[in-house]
Amino acid sequence: MTQPILDVQALQVAYDAIIAVSDVSMTVPKGSIVTILGPNGAGKSSLLNAIMGVVPAGGGIHFAGRALGGESVEARVNDGLSLVPEKRELFYSMSVEDNLRLGRFRLRHQGSAEPMLNEMWALFPRLKERRRQLAGTLSGGERQMLAMARALMGEPRLLMLDEPSLGLAPLIVREILQTASNLRDNGVSILLVEQNARAALRIADYGYVLESGRVMLEGEPDALQADQRIVESYLGVRSAVSV
Amino acid sequence: MSAAHRAVALLLLTLAILAPLMPGFPPFWVTLLSYIGLSALVALGLVVLVGVAGLTSFGQAMFVGFGAYTTAILTTRYGFSPWATLPVALVVSGLLAWGIGAITLRLKGHYLAIATIAWNVSFFYLAGNLDFFQRNDGISGIPAITLLGIDFARSINFYWLVLLCVLLAILLTRNLLDSRAGRAVRALRGGALAAESFGVNTFNARVLAFVYAGVLAGLSGWLYAHLQRAVNPSPFGINMSIDYLLMAVAGGVHSIGGALLGAAIVTLLRDQLQTLLPSLLNAQGNFETIVFGGLLILILQFSPQGLWPHLMKLFSRLLPKPAAVPVPPISEAPPLPLRAQPARGAEVLRASELRKQFGGLVAVDNVGFTLNAGEVVGLIGPNGAGKSTTFNLLTGVLAATKGNVAFLGEEICGSTARHIATRGVARTFQHVKLVRGMSVLDNVALGAHLRGAAGPLSAALHLDRAEEARIFALAWQQLHRVGLAQCAHLVADDLSLGQQRLVEIARALCLDPVLLLLDEPAAGLRHLEKAALAKLLDRLRQDGMTILLVEHDMDFVMNLTDRLVVMNFGAELAQGRPKDIQGNPAVIDAYLGTAA
Repeated sequence: MTQPILDVQALQVAYDAIIAVSDVSMTVPKGSIVTILGPNGAGKSSLLNAIMGVVPAGGGIHFAGRALGGESVEARVNDGLSLVPEKRELFYSMSVEDNLRLGRFRLRHQGSAEPMLNEMWALFPRLKERRRQLAGTLSGGERQMLAMARALMGEPRLLMLDEPSLGLAPLIVREILQTASNLRDNGVSILLVEQNARAALRIADYGYVLESGRVMLEGEPDALQADQRIVESYLGVRSAVSV
Repeated sequence: MSAAHRAVALLLLTLAILAPLMPGFPPFWVTLLSYIGLSALVALGLVVLVGVAGLTSFGQAMFVGFGAYTTAILTTRYGFSPWATLPVALVVSGLLAWGIGAITLRLKGHYLAIATIAWNVSFFYLAGNLDFFQRNDGISGIPAITLLGIDFARSINFYWLVLLCVLLAILLTRNLLDSRAGRAVRALRGGALAAESFGVNTFNARVLAFVYAGVLAGLSGWLYAHLQRAVNPSPFGINMSIDYLLMAVAGGVHSIGGALLGAAIVTLLRDQLQTLLPSLLNAQGNFETIVFGGLLILILQFSPQGLWPHLMKLFSRLLPKPAAVPVPPISEAPPLPLRAQPARGAEVLRASELRKQFGGLVAVDNVGFTLNAGEVVGLIGPNGAGKSTTFNLLTGVLAATKGNVAFLGEEICGSTARHIATRGVARTFQHVKLVRGMSVLDNVALGAHLRGAAGPLSAALHLDRAEEARIFALAWQQLHRVGLAQCAHLVADDLSLGQQRLVEIARALCLDPVLLLLDEPAAGLRHLEKAALAKLLDRLRQDGMTILLVEHDMDFVMNLTDRLVVMNFGAELAQGRPKDIQGNPAVIDAYLGTAA
């Protein structure tokens, strides 16, 4: 078995007295999409933030075989980790193109950004139409596209997406997740946190269900989708209009 | 108030009373303690102004001056007794703060800070150059305070007076902040938009904070004049204003204890450094200013919340963990009178030919629809279609370029958000707007702002308790309804995004709305939570409430709503029953897509 891109062992995250993640172990194999499902406050975002180094955590995180300890967020980005946060956190007073160029800040000494920019325009044609527009004037779906594209500009080895479908129209959700699936086919590993469990399980290779800071269940998407507990609390009964 | 707070408060009070009574306590130190108290009064005002309301003032020494000069002039020139000038000094500094605030508080951020500098500098030069204030010579011969044979010229007696004033100020400040008016002031930091949408007059709230800080500074000035028995412009200049701000920031601008701590640290440090530094450096000068500058930089760099939180942390480690605050049981009886809901099916809102233009961009183009009582209507469409803009037009957050909105027969297009809230329209926001740092319960209670009437004065004197109890009973009731009662005492920004949206719904329900506007209420919720939310909204509908919601979860929308309005590129694409909309080819093409 090849070495996983990400290996998390017994991870803990606590804010003062509140324990957000109490004991989580999980792996992301290279070139796959792993999804994390779970209710509000289960610790999903805390887990991503801990992997990114935004919040301190106990336990072990191995990225591409190397242990991550006290590295700064910058160092982790340099290693090839990238997080697209739940709130997008774009540079709203900058143009779309400048946002993308900043996404490549760490690779600024490695030649021109043009080829990568062109790749992004191909991946998200809508962003190209709006390249001179300020990020703050984009619609919700375009903002999510820009946040993903900005992360991709840094050529990450692991892309972490925190609720990419939040607040997006059904058509756009499908488009965004299709993009994630295409990225995986091109070799990018993806860790996907999603509330839209059905859509996430459709593109994922493996899934974990987090509850109260612990892994409650894990397995292949088919197995998870067949689990009665998952159907009841995450999927519901499928209807004609489900995304 | 936590156990740590109570323990520290008791300890400090005991120290403040016992220390000067100890034999051998130097009289000079008693005077120093009085000065700490005088500064603490001003710093307390700054906690309310800067820490709570988020308004920075570099002009507090001026308000101290107002109080000091008022009593100086009245006692020496017109023979008033000091006690008679006390209310006058408070009223004068309060009125001047109100006047200055009414002019200046329209400014925001650093413009406001600069304006307060300008006011303070002008006062300084006016006092130094007008005969009325006896120029830079100042006014001397101010009588000492006496009461029933007690001579407050004795430094220990004066200290007791200062201590009493500080204790009263702490009590009043706590009462004020923990009230309807206080929540309005605290809500300023959550952004004016959310506060206005719940009927808070944010300008008045700003003025209230400004006047309160001004009155406390005026009280400090009155005491100062009778301690020094003489006044001149120098202690009321901009330098002293900066010192007051330094005290508040060093101690911790977000808590009452921080004001006391900061006043003590800065006053003691200045006293020590003033004698120490010149002898060390063998030169005369105000070297302590340099130390203060360095100190401020260090604190801002390493502990921007000031030193008080560290002290609290230390004490809470020493004390046993407080027991969890109990959650009151669910009660159904309405704690406050409810408004009459319109008859089921009656027209609640009619929007016609609504248009909003941002420069060349038409965000909403000729949109019209009606909402009837007891109906849940969904507003759907692609991102950027103008749904949130429509919400903002209906709630008065944005002014429409053209069009009409009739709410219960009244034209509300062009009314302020505040007025529309009073008519019974409550809303949530696409991007959550809760007051950061404030508890979930207090955030929800803010929604009941319009259902209370207690003002700042009755709050400070604790005459508002009955109303407050009802407001909080209501807040608990709504938290139970959205299923977040167990989170009531958490800080709102610690909740997950989905839970914060539910808090916003609870806040909106506190208004007892006729019309509830929900912007993506189910975003960030999982299936089970969405089902609970749908059940709640369904019950509200049965109670006769009218609901308009923007939402992208089509399962949620199609199962809950009675009707749908679909927007695309600012214009109306379709209206109809969910069943028909699902089969509408234009809607499928623009929004739904074909099921994969």
